[in-house]
Amino acid sequence: MSVAASVTMAARGLAVLAAAAAAWGGWSWYAAAHDSSAALAAGRDQVLAAGEQAVQNLNTLDWQHLSTGLSTWDQSTTGDLRTQLDQGQADFTKQVEQAHTVTTAKVLAGAVTELDEHTGSASVMVALQVTVSAPGSSPSVKQSRLLGQLTRTAQGWKLSDLAQASTTDS
Amino acid sequence: MTTTRQTINHQRRVAARPTTAPPPPPVVGTEPAERPPRRRPRPEAEPPTGPRPRSRPRAALRGLARPRKPLLAVLLTLLLGGFAGYAHARANSLEAGAADHDNTALTDAVRSSQVKGGVTQAVNTLFSYDYTDPARTDDAAGGLLTGAAVQQYASMLSAVRADASKLKLVLTTTVTDCGLEQLDGDRAQLLVFADQRDTTAAAGARAGTDSEDSPAMFTVSALLVKGTWRISAITTFSG
Repeated sequence: MSVAASVTMAARGLAVLAAAAAAWGGWSWYAAAHDSSAALAAGRDQVLAAGEQAVQNLNTLDWQHLSTGLSTWDQSTTGDLRTQLDQGQADFTKQVEQAHTVTTAKVLAGAVTELDEHTGSASVMVALQVTVSAPGSSPSVKQSRLLGQLTRTAQGWKLSDLAQASTTDS
Repeated sequence: MTTTRQTINHQRRVAARPTTAPPPPPVVGTEPAERPPRRRPRPEAEPPTGPRPRSRPRAALRGLARPRKPLLAVLLTLLLGGFAGYAHARANSLEAGAADHDNTALTDAVRSSQVKGGVTQAVNTLFSYDYTDPARTDDAAGGLLTGAAVQQYASMLSAVRADASKLKLVLTTTVTDCGLEQLDGDRAQLLVFADQRDTTAAAGARAGTDSEDSPAMFTVSALLVKGTWRISAITTFSG
């Protein structure tokens, strides 16, 4: 076999190998992009992160930084919940400014209970610990069981409803 | 996406072309050693019309094709290799984007609902206690618990047991919400919200019965043992 022919053969061999690698790469790309359970898992993790963060945001407020806190509330919510918060804002601001309260929250645990990627709606449950500090009294620590609804917006998942888990009394 | 598939198919076709193409004609000029035995000596009488006129354009093409074919293959190698590398990188980044790979909570719908149903039932049974029928709770406990939870549960319920008959205690637990935090094969972790109602009737009390509801929230670890989800640990958030 001539040198030229061997070069041609070698080049072809490499091209075939490259084609095989390209096919494999393309397939794994396609598979990764169309793995519906992976997409759902990623969606679930996004919802949980957004839900936990939003719940924490809505339970965090420092009377000295009210406007920052309230704009975070706005950014974390959408729909009815946002409307409710906006309507109650004036009264709420007055109360917090008078009482000089600082509220902080810590997410103890959270889980996504429902996720519908098509309609862009999801439900989460969050175990939260809220600490309220006011001057002249020791901080009160309370645990609460929260159920949230999330709605997907152009800016990501936002809280559209938030309520305490129902109890027969309390 | 169809475009990706089309791209792959197209690239496959392109890649297949050189291999399925007919083998190149023997390169006459560069193989002097092979030429004499291969070429049958032509009789002088043969009319020169046969291979002669055809061999000329062929030779001209050959001259062009020879450097081109390896070049084409090299170009293909580079292109396809480049695509392969890019596609792998994309696939990897997509896979890395699916944050928690092992967590099939919600994505495995059947198993998710099985473990939620199993744990809800288990919690309702384990934390419901009737002083008139303590055996019912005790009997159920054996099949609903495993590992550390056995001891944990025993100590949780010892206080209830101690006073149960004296107080005529009836404890009813109802799971109101149950969410799956983690599901990985035979292991799961759940967040549970439950309401506990305990009804006591102290002997001779005029007021009759006294009920108290208390909200509870805790994390449950569950393990699939022989087809049944059992509770392996209960973690409260106190402290």
